[in-house]
Amino acid sequence: MTRYVLRRLPSAVLVVLAASVVIFSVIRLVPGDPVATLAGPDATPEARDAIRAELGLDEPVVVQYLQWLAAMVRLDPGQSYLVGGDISRLVREGLVNTLVLAGGALLLAVVLTLVAAVGGVLAHRRGVDTLLNGVNTAAVALPTFVTGPLLVLLFAVLLPVLPAGGTPPEGFWARPDISVQFLLMPALCLALPAAAALTRFLSEALRTELEQPYATTARALGVGRRRLVLTQALPNALPAAVTVLGVQVGTLLGGAVLVEAIFAWPGLGMLAEQAISSRDYPLVQTLLLLSVAVFVATQLLTDVVQALLDPRIRLGAS
Amino acid sequence: MSPRPSLSRRRRPALALAAAVTALGLLTACSSAVGDGGSGGSGEPQSGGVLKVGTVTDLVPAAIFTNSNDTINLVIGQVFDSLVDYPIDSLEAEPSLAESWELAEDGTSITLQLRDDVTFHSGRPFTSEDVEFSIRQWADPKWTVQFQRTAAAITEFDTSEEHSITLGFDHPMNNVLDLLDILPIIDSETIDQLEKGEAYVGTGPFTFESWTPQSKLVLDRNDDYWGDTPRLDGVEIDIVPDAQSLVSQLRSGQLDLAQGASNRDIESLAGTGDFDQITFEGSERQTYVGTNVENPALSDPDVRRAIALSVDRDRVVEEVYRGVGYPIALPWPEYSPAYDPEANESLQQDLDEARSLLEGKDLPPLPLEYSTANPNNEAIAQIVQADLKQVGLDVELVPNEQAQQIEKLIGGSFEALWILDHAYAQYTPSSLAVSAYPFNAAKNTSNFLDDQYAAHADAAWKQPDPAGPEAEAAYADLNADLLDNLFLIELSTTFMQAVSKADLEGVSWTKRSELTFGETWLDR
Amino acid sequence: MSTAAVTEVAPAEGVRARRLRWGALAHGQGLVGVVMVALVVVAGLLAPVLAPYDPTQQIPGANLAPPSAAHWLGTDEVNRDILSRVLHGIRIDLVVVFLAVPVGAALGVALGLLSPLHAWADVATQRLLDVLLAFPVLILAITATAAMGPGLRTIAVVIVLAELPIFGRLARTSVLKVRALPYVESARVMGAGETWLLRKHVLPNSLEPLTVQLAVSMSVAVFIEGAMSFLGLGVRPPDPSLGSLIKDGIRNVWEAPFFVVGPLVVVSMLVLGFLLVAQAISAQRRR
Repeated sequence: MTRYVLRRLPSAVLVVLAASVVIFSVIRLVPGDPVATLAGPDATPEARDAIRAELGLDEPVVVQYLQWLAAMVRLDPGQSYLVGGDISRLVREGLVNTLVLAGGALLLAVVLTLVAAVGGVLAHRRGVDTLLNGVNTAAVALPTFVTGPLLVLLFAVLLPVLPAGGTPPEGFWARPDISVQFLLMPALCLALPAAAALTRFLSEALRTELEQPYATTARALGVGRRRLVLTQALPNALPAAVTVLGVQVGTLLGGAVLVEAIFAWPGLGMLAEQAISSRDYPLVQTLLLLSVAVFVATQLLTDVVQALLDPRIRLGAS
Repeated sequence: MSPRPSLSRRRRPALALAAAVTALGLLTACSSAVGDGGSGGSGEPQSGGVLKVGTVTDLVPAAIFTNSNDTINLVIGQVFDSLVDYPIDSLEAEPSLAESWELAEDGTSITLQLRDDVTFHSGRPFTSEDVEFSIRQWADPKWTVQFQRTAAAITEFDTSEEHSITLGFDHPMNNVLDLLDILPIIDSETIDQLEKGEAYVGTGPFTFESWTPQSKLVLDRNDDYWGDTPRLDGVEIDIVPDAQSLVSQLRSGQLDLAQGASNRDIESLAGTGDFDQITFEGSERQTYVGTNVENPALSDPDVRRAIALSVDRDRVVEEVYRGVGYPIALPWPEYSPAYDPEANESLQQDLDEARSLLEGKDLPPLPLEYSTANPNNEAIAQIVQADLKQVGLDVELVPNEQAQQIEKLIGGSFEALWILDHAYAQYTPSSLAVSAYPFNAAKNTSNFLDDQYAAHADAAWKQPDPAGPEAEAAYADLNADLLDNLFLIELSTTFMQAVSKADLEGVSWTKRSELTFGETWLDR
Repeated sequence: MSTAAVTEVAPAEGVRARRLRWGALAHGQGLVGVVMVALVVVAGLLAPVLAPYDPTQQIPGANLAPPSAAHWLGTDEVNRDILSRVLHGIRIDLVVVFLAVPVGAALGVALGLLSPLHAWADVATQRLLDVLLAFPVLILAITATAAMGPGLRTIAVVIVLAELPIFGRLARTSVLKVRALPYVESARVMGAGETWLLRKHVLPNSLEPLTVQLAVSMSVAVFIEGAMSFLGLGVRPPDPSLGSLIKDGIRNVWEAPFFVVGPLVVVSMLVLGFLLVAQAISAQRRR
């Protein structure tokens, strides 16, 4: 297993490195000079130069890049220009919020998928199928930026049972019951498209499993449909579903940008938007690189989980 | 198929649904995250409670003194005091940290008597040296404050007495009280933390407790306040970057007060009777179309005049600002010594006149830049575009992020036309001409450098009495310059607005557009 | 086995696949999908004829008016006819869907097909696509907008960048799969050229998954345009797009709840239509 991971690692690191070069150069193409913004209209050229030097922007670009890379390796990204404060603190606080949101959404997506896919296959009825299909289709076709405001309108304004946005005032861990209420709508909003895609995939996989010869034999031997689905078909279909889930995690993190904006959820997506719009180079760079690293890590993790669930992959690799 | 699974099959989804609904019900029943709002107060002022305020902008430590967003204004308004305070509807300064003051006859110095019972939140007593420190901070270009020029003109500080200070100026100037109204008195010991956004130590009615970027700010009551101790236990400022989400949170009872909602939303919220609108009268803001006079197409004053005559100002006020404001040709509010009712009416929409001014001129399409921070700007830009199209002038809309728009405002780098709003006309008129980015005669966003305008601005600034006859003559000259050159085309005066739950009482505001909660209470 | 035999089998397979693909769209969910997309496309193409007003014309006095005989879907904040804006707004999405997506797809496929020809180029291309894929689309969109300013051009670039790696990978997988087929390997042993392989075997074999992906990507593109416009990164005013109309509609949902309905229905039809088409084709393939 370790060897399998070790074999995959170099290419993952390479991707992150290449991404860091891309990020660093693209940021410098963005119009708008942070020094001009910071120095103000009446600053003398000397004052501007001083600020430029203080930010390290007077060094050659390659040196700046290497300095940045070294700082990232040391996990010390430095100070933000404009948003304010320590970048590591900003990122840590945003990351916790985004992880809670994405984690909640992931959990919700898995639960919804298992209930809908397994339930649908077990029910094995036209009516249930049509209903599930309809809900599924709606979940896919309605974009997040529509479901979000609609949910807010329904459950926060017309029927005020849930908060319309924001994070729990006392933090996530002080009052879990309150936190769940804050999390429910944004997580659902984020989970819906992922759950819909997963359900479609898992139902299809389960049906395919049930058509396999072993299933027919088992049925002939008198094994009930429910038992067959739960003990045989589901375990067989899961590895592939995990892969799809891994792909969905990427989509989930991307979608978080939108959901965070709609629900005023102070996560990394919101931080990234503000950092880019205020031309806060150090912060933008860190955030973009982080998003790439998370994506690459997720992919790696997906492969590992898949290998754990399916010995063929693991053995083939070693 | 056996009957048993089919039975459970049918019930299970229904059961699961019922369980989910029950769970949600229980969850919200035992402790709901949604406040249950006011259930009828007594109408008598009460103490206690934390005020929840929502704003769309976050604190920007580097811009803390620029008066540039609601959250900054909220912090400055609660945590800091200034030496003097203007009442919202006049320019007669009233005492604050300074008990009394005297301007020298020649306008080159001012002596202030300071309160002796004031301490900073850190416990340190407030003295004349803190005044000097604060003014010197403001003179430092790094803070990019609009009154930098005025602060820098104060060159002598006599701090020999603890509770009295004499400020000597480089040259006579009549707007020093404007500066003293705007300038917060800051603590010199914590300036490093202030720069990083870690601590804000002032003398105001609330103390700064914490800031979580992108999320919230917490302020507590200052029990040792030199004035009346606030009734509220504290203030929590939630940062909600999306205006839609902000309004939803207010409607759902999560917030008591919101700043940054659109005029239309505020209008409809107030219409329900559950909310009050707060209009910052006396803290006027002017919306304008700026022109870069270095652009070849706009170097011709006739073209600028044609633009000024094309815009439907009434429509901007009625449809965009929902009637909160009035159309203008000059920036001054009625109480300003520079106000001239006749001149203010001089730019009415006249499409025929505009067309004849443009006759024979072959103008390329001009970019019109606006900030995407507020939907009002986009609506105004589209109205201006349609109006100019009627007189044959093509305009291309360019949405900028707020940071870019401000950068261009400060650097004077707009290509042709732009839309923004400005303040400072509510102060001594010379402040506008020597301080505000779009007007500053020495260096302005329009790149309009004109000896006559500069001379008039300087003359207006250096009259010792800001309301005397010499000063008024100078303002008349300035008005003529503004209307003749139209490098900046005023559209309307509007007022900032906030909206609160109907059970929130005693909210006030300052001329600096800060809400103040010193006398606020919750009627629950 | 002779090369002649190989060439006989392969085109026959290709022809069968092609027939099945279009057959899937003639009935059931495939047909529904095609009809939904076609309706929207026709409405967009005929917008200048169908729209009662110019999409940027400001009608005096009609400020956020409710639906009426004169304005079937009402008017917006700056007095424009919403129906006319929706119809014209479709055209922006058509450009995005039928121009940006195919361009991204074509570039991706070209990369995916050609890169395996050369081992070194293959590795480089794969890592490049990995890097592109690693940026969440909306983060990519925010960055691109900061660099290029908002507008149709930026949306198109974002969509091309988002689709390129997806199609690149898909095409490359097909190449590797086909290459591993026994008959193809033997053909190569016998000296068949790479271009011949690509043309005769790889392309026909990968057309189906590519078509499915194309339909999916088209629905995603509608979503991306909407999300970008929703975040204020979309087309420049006064031009309408479906996403910017939804944004305006949501903003005014209290004052004018009808506003958002029109653009929402159209966007849902487009997204759903393309998805149904994709599903129909892939369902047909499995049978």
